[in-house]
Amino acid sequence: MSNKKTADLDFAFSRRTAIAGAAGGLVWAGLVARLFQLQILEQEQYRQQAEANHIKLQLAPPQRGRILDRFGRPLASHRRAGRVSVIPEQTDNPERTLAQIAELIEIPDDKLERLANDIRYNRRRNAAFVPVTIANELTYEDFARMNVHEAEIPGLNVEMALTRSYPRGRDFAHVLGYVARASQDDLTRLTDGMTGKEAETLKTMFRHPDMRTGRQGMERFAEEWLRGKPGYRKLVTNAHGRIIEEIPDERLAPMPGRDLFVTIDSDLQRVAIERFAGESGAAVVMDVETGDVLAMVSTPAFDPNDFVNGISSANYAELRDDSRSPLYPRAHGGVYPPGSTFKMVVATAALEAGVIKPEERVHCNRYYHFGNRTWHCWKPGGHGSVNMHQAIKGSCDVYFYEIARRTGVDKIAETAHKFGFGESWVLGMTGGRSGLVPDREWKQRVRKENWYEGETLNFGIGQGQLGVTPLQLALMTARIATEGKPFKPRMIGIGPQSDEDQVLDAPLDQEIMARMKAGMYGVTSEGGGTAYRSGDLGLGGPRLAGKTGTAQVRRITREERASGIRKGENIARELRDHALFVAYAPADDPKYAISVIVEHGEGGSSTAGPVARDILHYALKTDSRRKPAYSQSASLSPNLSDEGEPT
Amino acid sequence: MSRDGYTGFSRGEARTRTATSLSFETQGPLDKFMRLPWGFILLIAAMALTGIAMLYSSAHTNPAESHLWRLQLIRFGVCFVMMIALGLLPLSWWMRLAFPAYVGTIVLLVLVEVMGFSGGGAQRWLRIGPIGVQPSEFAKLAVTLALARYYQMVLQPQTGRILVHLGAVAIMVIPAALIFIQPDFGTTLALLASGAVVIFLAGLSARVILTGIVGGVASVWPIYQFVLAPYQRERVDTFLAQLFGGATNALGESYQIEQGKIAIGAGGLNGRGYLQGIQSQQDYVPEQHTDFILTVIAEEFGFIGTTALLIGFAVLLGWSLYSAGRSASWFGRLASAGATATIAFYIVFNVGMVLGLLPVVGMPLPLISYGGTAMLTTMACFGLILAAHMHRDEKLTARGLF
Repeated sequence: MSNKKTADLDFAFSRRTAIAGAAGGLVWAGLVARLFQLQILEQEQYRQQAEANHIKLQLAPPQRGRILDRFGRPLASHRRAGRVSVIPEQTDNPERTLAQIAELIEIPDDKLERLANDIRYNRRRNAAFVPVTIANELTYEDFARMNVHEAEIPGLNVEMALTRSYPRGRDFAHVLGYVARASQDDLTRLTDGMTGKEAETLKTMFRHPDMRTGRQGMERFAEEWLRGKPGYRKLVTNAHGRIIEEIPDERLAPMPGRDLFVTIDSDLQRVAIERFAGESGAAVVMDVETGDVLAMVSTPAFDPNDFVNGISSANYAELRDDSRSPLYPRAHGGVYPPGSTFKMVVATAALEAGVIKPEERVHCNRYYHFGNRTWHCWKPGGHGSVNMHQAIKGSCDVYFYEIARRTGVDKIAETAHKFGFGESWVLGMTGGRSGLVPDREWKQRVRKENWYEGETLNFGIGQGQLGVTPLQLALMTARIATEGKPFKPRMIGIGPQSDEDQVLDAPLDQEIMARMKAGMYGVTSEGGGTAYRSGDLGLGGPRLAGKTGTAQVRRITREERASGIRKGENIARELRDHALFVAYAPADDPKYAISVIVEHGEGGSSTAGPVARDILHYALKTDSRRKPAYSQSASLSPNLSDEGEPT
Repeated sequence: MSRDGYTGFSRGEARTRTATSLSFETQGPLDKFMRLPWGFILLIAAMALTGIAMLYSSAHTNPAESHLWRLQLIRFGVCFVMMIALGLLPLSWWMRLAFPAYVGTIVLLVLVEVMGFSGGGAQRWLRIGPIGVQPSEFAKLAVTLALARYYQMVLQPQTGRILVHLGAVAIMVIPAALIFIQPDFGTTLALLASGAVVIFLAGLSARVILTGIVGGVASVWPIYQFVLAPYQRERVDTFLAQLFGGATNALGESYQIEQGKIAIGAGGLNGRGYLQGIQSQQDYVPEQHTDFILTVIAEEFGFIGTTALLIGFAVLLGWSLYSAGRSASWFGRLASAGATATIAFYIVFNVGMVLGLLPVVGMPLPLISYGGTAMLTTMACFGLILAAHMHRDEKLTARGLF
């Protein structure tokens, strides 16, 4: 009886086991079907998603073009430097990441907070992939140590980066300017006139730690030429965004910026700076035939390398407050009274106006009375009776008081403009100033006063309101040396040319210019010349022709003149006069024009003259103006620019 | 008592088996060891070693996880020895252990509530000496044993009533409720599912089963609405959204499912090759060394490899079910079938989850996923299956509680 029941139960169990097994088989078949769907039917879709998953395009900054001198020597290039940064999207806790980094390298406490804010800012700004730089210029030890710890600290990124470098240091600070991280102001300026999308791309690119923008000088002027176009890096990343490898792709590579050649001879520049021997001043050397600027010296200067990664406020304050003004671009932005170097302009104006004949004599007994005041000549006892040649040679002030009075302020001003005064010469730099050539209209407009005749007398000897830059003095000298031929100065050999075609082509009478040259030759090479000792270039033949000048830093009081205390140790250095000298060489076949100013150097002939002579000596000896390295490629420029043009 | 009436064995066969059974006590331990189903055991070992190889593949690029495969290998070695030892244990011993183990598990589950610690958002862990354990894992085996023991006690030819099964439901529901409040929805479900299979096999009438199914379907919405915690509800939402192709939050729950599916789909027919999986090697799939290890296999060995794995599981489970059917005692049958069901539901829940067919419930893949407790449970289940197989003719007469 129980057997039957038991048998039923057992049979039921077997049947139900079979049902369970069949159900399980169905489920298994369902799983395999799903696998088939995912792996076979939808395979392609998932493969593509897997690709898209791990391949990322990262904005790659272009390498900035170099700046080279006329012989191809780099003035601005790159060097490799270790850099530590944090990639915001790879860390959830910026403070902790920074604290971990700070255990390995030194980070100032106040900077930590700012960096944490920067990291947060990038995350919010949808730029979480843009690294925030923690430290640049790592020492080898620091770099190696950070590399070891890179994997442990979330978000830490250690790499070798290309950093803008100025191998000539201070030599070209005022010509090249410097680059820096783009500030908000920079971005506003750079994106001016762009469409929204272009501007956004540019801004994103400039957030990259490798990107710099020109802040001053040629770096700023030629920004677009040098910058290049950004590209992309094709990166294989893991789920955390860590880069596993890079897939090279030529089509995506950034387009590097173009190299820029300047006309300067960096060796001549160096020699000129050394010749200043620590004195403050400026010098500009030009090739009078081509208009090439061969040297553009302003000293002292700052080191642009200090600015590339941001200069500390303390260091900047030190530069700014330095009494010798290293930030001041004297050569093209420094405005000085030209003193007696201006006398060729006054003489030219007088001859053009026809108010005096070259041989007409003016008597100089040191005093010149006009109205109820008395003007003085620099030479105690006076020059006696002088004609124009003698007046230039001996720099007779009385003669120039007289012809300036006869010529009138407006005519002198007109002539001064023909020599390049009163105009800002860009030449691919920033910071150039126009100086000031005063005239009646200016006085009326700015000062709301009438012009006093007495001011014309000061104008006649290059003092008073008149302000010129050393660059303008070199241009004047070049115009005289070329006897008035049209003259186009330039400093960019290959690169973006300045928009306004600045050229000196106002007509100057060749005969008058020849007289000026003769006068300048007299200064350095004839008895009675104010710089007789500076005429010989020491090259066994070629001589230079020049003109001395003294720029008053302050008025000389009557008492001082009476007591004879005018020079040397007796007055404070910063009150001493500036010494000027302009010259061209060789005197019989001019190739080079130069202007030199030695601040507080006192005597044009004693300090500035020898500096000019030594610079010209070097330029002639080494033939600084010889054919530049880029002239070969310049003739092939269509090809070159095709290659360099962004497509 | 003759058995041939229902087994269908010829008399001769039955005699032989009876003789084997009778000579049981006279056999040496070595003989018994040699009679273990070695094909089954070697398949288990092969699959576990495959799992360790996949664990190496998924974790070797990550310094924090690259040593895990060695740990898992040691665990497997220990559990493997344990499984064989358990397999040699007579069923009478298992039966004696069933209720104490069940009561002990209930105590542990209560202790978890009182003094356990949390991990992964739920209070599941209990610290015993130096190791942390999840009593909910042991509950699966304990409930299976207890149910089998219960039916062995009550299932008589004359007791075909429905009321008998109410006791089984109670045995199952008490630990299930304790696990549910941890909360651990996945384990609760797995426990109820394998318990239900045992009750089904024990002969619950078809009418009741149908009623149960209807009731279960009807209670889906109330459970979703009133019983599930918000994070659990979110999982279900995510699951439904991805199942029907809707938009999901790519960085939340569905990120894991999506990345898992990409890894699986990208594997294609042949896979990318061992250690070559892009998704797997570069950490795109979270938890890929534990619950999502199948994605690594699918990406690196493709449809062929994954199907082979599922076939391997099917062979293990099919043989187990077959073996359960050959057991003479209700305890042996139901314990073995219950253990089989427990492992089967692990697999179904895990694979269904990884393939995006089921919500993410946090269930490891037996033998393959990294994790100690799951390995212990799985191997103990196989030990029980082996024991039922080895002692399929053992006569169990126990009627009392012990």
